[in-house]
Parts: sequence; C-alpha cells; structure tokens
Amino acid sequence: MSAIPLKAMILTLLKELGLAFLLLMGVSFVVFIILYAAPGDQFSVLLEGQLPTAEARAGIREALGVATSWYGQYFSWLMSVLGGNFGTSIRTGLPVAGELLNVSLNTLYLTLGSMAVTLFVAVPIALYTSVRGHSVVIGWPLTMLGYVVSALPVFWLAYIAIYISIHSFDFFPLASMSRSAEGNNWLYTFIPVLVLGLGSGTISEVIRNLREEMSRVMNEDYVRTARAKGASVWKHAFKEGLLIPVTEIIASKIPFILGGAVIVEQVFNWPGMGRMAWQAAQDRDFPVIMGIALVAATFVRMGSLLQRMVCTAVNPQSRD
Amino acid sequence: MLYVAYGLFIVTLVLVSYVLGAFDLLPYDPQQINMELMMAPPASEGHVFGTDFMGRDIQSRLIMGIQAYFLPGLLAISISLTGGIILGVLSGYWGGRIETVITYLNNLVDSFPRLVLILLVIAAFKPDIYYIMVVMGITGVPTVATAIANKIRFLIQKSFIEAAIALGLRTQTIILKHILWYNCRALLIIQATLGMGEAILLETSLSYLGFGVQEPVPSWGNMVQSGANYFLQGNFWPSTAPALAILLTILGFNLLGDGLNNILEDRRGK
Repeated sequence: MSAIPLKAMILTLLKELGLAFLLLMGVSFVVFIILYAAPGDQFSVLLEGQLPTAEARAGIREALGVATSWYGQYFSWLMSVLGGNFGTSIRTGLPVAGELLNVSLNTLYLTLGSMAVTLFVAVPIALYTSVRGHSVVIGWPLTMLGYVVSALPVFWLAYIAIYISIHSFDFFPLASMSRSAEGNNWLYTFIPVLVLGLGSGTISEVIRNLREEMSRVMNEDYVRTARAKGASVWKHAFKEGLLIPVTEIIASKIPFILGGAVIVEQVFNWPGMGRMAWQAAQDRDFPVIMGIALVAATFVRMGSLLQRMVCTAVNPQSRD
Repeated sequence: MLYVAYGLFIVTLVLVSYVLGAFDLLPYDPQQINMELMMAPPASEGHVFGTDFMGRDIQSRLIMGIQAYFLPGLLAISISLTGGIILGVLSGYWGGRIETVITYLNNLVDSFPRLVLILLVIAAFKPDIYYIMVVMGITGVPTVATAIANKIRFLIQKSFIEAAIALGLRTQTIILKHILWYNCRALLIIQATLGMGEAILLETSLSYLGFGVQEPVPSWGNMVQSGANYFLQGNFWPSTAPALAILLTILGFNLLGDGLNNILEDRRGK
C-alpha cells in the first residue's frame, strides 16, 4: 500500500470546494428566484387577517429593513446567510439557524444510519452473487426483489414496521427522540432508520452497481495475476471493486435518501429537517424552507466532495 | 420477455382504467359512503376489492385515483424529454462551452433533494399537482440530457454521421432523422416509462403527505394515509390495496423500461 497522495488530495479538495461553492451559489439563487416569483410576498403572511393596505405593507417592509429591488434583496439575504443568519421563522418567530442546526443533526443521524442499513444488506448480496457468478437460482429472485423494493412505497413499509413493533414487541415507535430514554430507547431510533434504509429505493441500485463493478474487477488481469501467485484476491479487488463504487453510489443517492427522510420523519414523528420542511410548506414559512433547502444542498455537495476525496486517495491519477 | 409482458399488461391496465375513470364508467361512485358496509373484505359480494372504513368501494377509488397522476405524469415526462433532447443535442453534438454550462446545470439540479425543492415550490405557490409536475419535469431534464449526449458522442464516432455530413445533408436532418429518430427513440421510450414510474411515486408520496389531491377525492397516496389508523388496528386492507396498486404499477413501468432496454441491447450485441 502506497502512502496517501497528499498533494493530489489537496488539489482535489480545493477544486471540489470551488465547485461546491459555485453550485451552492446557484442553489441559493434558484431558491431566491422561486420565492421572489411567488405570488404575494412573505410579509403578506404576517398581514393575514388584517387589512392589507399598501401602507401597512410598506410599513412592515420598512420596519424589517427590506430592500425593494430584487438583487438588493438577494444580496442582503445572501450576506446574512453567509454570516450564519437564516432569518426568523414566520410561524414561531424564533431564529431559523439554531433550530435548523438541531434538526439537521437529527436528519444526518437518520440518513447515515439508513445508509449503513442499506450497505449492510446490499454489500453481502452483491459480493456473494458477483463472486459466485450469475447463478440463475439466486440471481433471478434477487433481481426481482430489487425491483420490488425500489417500487415499494416507503410509508406503507413504515406502517408494517409500526404494526409489527406494536404487536410483537409491545411498544409504540412514534414518540422517537422526543421522549427520554426508557429502556427501549434504541428501538425508537432503530425502526425509522431500518425503514428508510430498506425502503428508500437505493438498495436495488447499490446491489446492481456493486455487482457489475465487482464482476468487472474480478476479470481484470491484475486480479488474475494475484490469484495465480496466491496473493489475496480480496486485497487487490477491494479498492476498485468495492470502495470506489460504494462511495460513488452512496454520494449520488444522498438526494434520494434525504427525500425519503421527509416521508419517514413524517410517519415516525422524527424531529428532523424533513418534518420541518413539511410543516414549513404547510405554513408557507419561507425563511425555514429556504434554510432547509440550503442545508440539504450542502449535505449533497459535501457527500460528493468526500466521494472525490476517496477517489483521489485511492487513485491520484483519476479525474473526471 | 416476461418483464416486458408484465409491463405492457400494467400499462394497458392503467390506460384502460384512466379512460374508464375519465368517462365515469365505474362500478360505484368512488365517494359514495355506505355506513352499512364498512371494511368489507376483498371479493365480497358486489365489491370485488371490498370497501374502506366509510363503506366506499375500493375498486372504484383505485380506478379514480389514476386521474391524480396520469395527465400530470405525462406533463412531467414531456418536459423532461423536450428539455433533455434540446440540452442533450447541444451538449453531445456541439460540446465545447455549452457542455460546461450543461454539466453545471446538471450538477445544480442534482444538488437539491427533489422532494425538498417541491416542498419549497408548494410553499411559494400552491400545492397544485401541475406545478409539482413541472418541477419534476425540470429536475428530470439532466438525466435525459446526459443519456442523449452520451449516445450522440458514441454515434458521432461512427462513419454514417460523417458520411451524412460529407453528402451535404442539412444539420437539422442529421439530428432529427438520423440521430434522434433512428437511434434515440428507444432510449426516449425507456426514459419515458421510467419517468412515469417516478411521477407515480412522487404523486403518491405528496398526496400521502397531504399535498395535492385532497380527501374525499381519491388518490392512491391519500387512500394509504386515510387507512393508516385502521391498518394499525389490524384492518390492513384499506391501506394495503392502494399501496399494492402503487407497488405493482411502478414495478410495471420500471420492468417495461428495463426489459425494453435489455432487448434492444441484446439485439445490438448480435
């Protein structure tokens, strides 16, 4: 094993950070434009039920110190976001940033856990089927299972999990995280994580992708050489056949998993970003949902950055 | 192929049911409440798929639920395909700076979790399924564009395009006829079926979350949701019937897309 290629990694890091910055700027612009194009403005929510006179509107604008031109609004909003100020929630009146930090950690926990579940199920299946060859007896039902799992509505899977846990384990998993530890606490978090891991529709793709990559690597000359000289095939096939495809597919699936988290959090009453986004969409609470979109996009970009770093660490020559 | 046969069966079933629903040719009124026949199990007399917790006929509600996603789904697909073809041709045929811009746009769209973006649009505008499907169509553009661009880059290396250019065919003839019609139509059909599967998943998820079609108008998502409490008490059917409908339909569209893909790849390999 060679040393980790520091120089190449720093270069990749800088390049990816630059790209992530450009993309997040784009994301913030898209978010702003959507809300700017929305009928009415966010202040009309504050004025609901009152006489919406032009003076009242102007008064509110002035009191909150809002610029009138769209680029003025965009830049003042962007500057405050960059300074860590996401505004205050229209519904609760509390600063968005603090609450967002809390809920995004909960969501991070849920998504990372569910990725672990996905990998825990998918990797052994993929390895087994790729190493044993495409045996029809195992291959066909597995492929079919993959299709079924990716078409399964995750909310229905969640109800099955809830039903089983109520009737077989005699506890109700919907009070997750809000109630403090009472014996079964780990189950409160484990069931949503399990449901998202199995039901987010990524398992089948992870299996398919890994199986292809692993089969490809297994037929490479260097693996044959390793096998011929009696060296560990696993050690030679690990990086190209497992590590890189796993990080690639997981990074590209983060948006889907976050989307699935919206539903799972809703079903299980999980205090995360998805539930907050749902609530904010119900209330038309713009500052909150803008913050969530930005944080979610940051998660996605960070995932892709990590993936590029792993790729560079394994193979400094690789570039896309 | 078994996949394609199943897929075609499901697609036909959806089409026929859509037409039946559109002309109101249903066994019962889907909103007709019948308190004397609540929670009838499937295959009971007069109700093939049983009734729900208000005695409404589940079969009629399932058929009517197709209205919630069918046309919006077609809208989403046509936006994805149109945008994807334009961007894909620009990027694949000419490349250069346009390609960089398109890669950036692709990455930009990929940076949003789709559901979060849609919740943002719901908050900004209104929870209308057509708005939602426009967003879904736009977010589907990059996938189609990338597929088309890759295909074109592959085709350009072949001599027939070069020959067509040398023969003095107009660029639009080459692109529309020789590239898109002769060589990309299969790819586009596949993208369309996969897109429909995604549209169904999205519509049912959103109506499950309470956006889009509202009770008592049936959609598969709100049927699962409204049956949920009864599900937890052990009355599985009112939630499970629409959930199975979602599962089998998405499965049908995905199997059709992948099955067609496999058949076409096999043919090319030979």
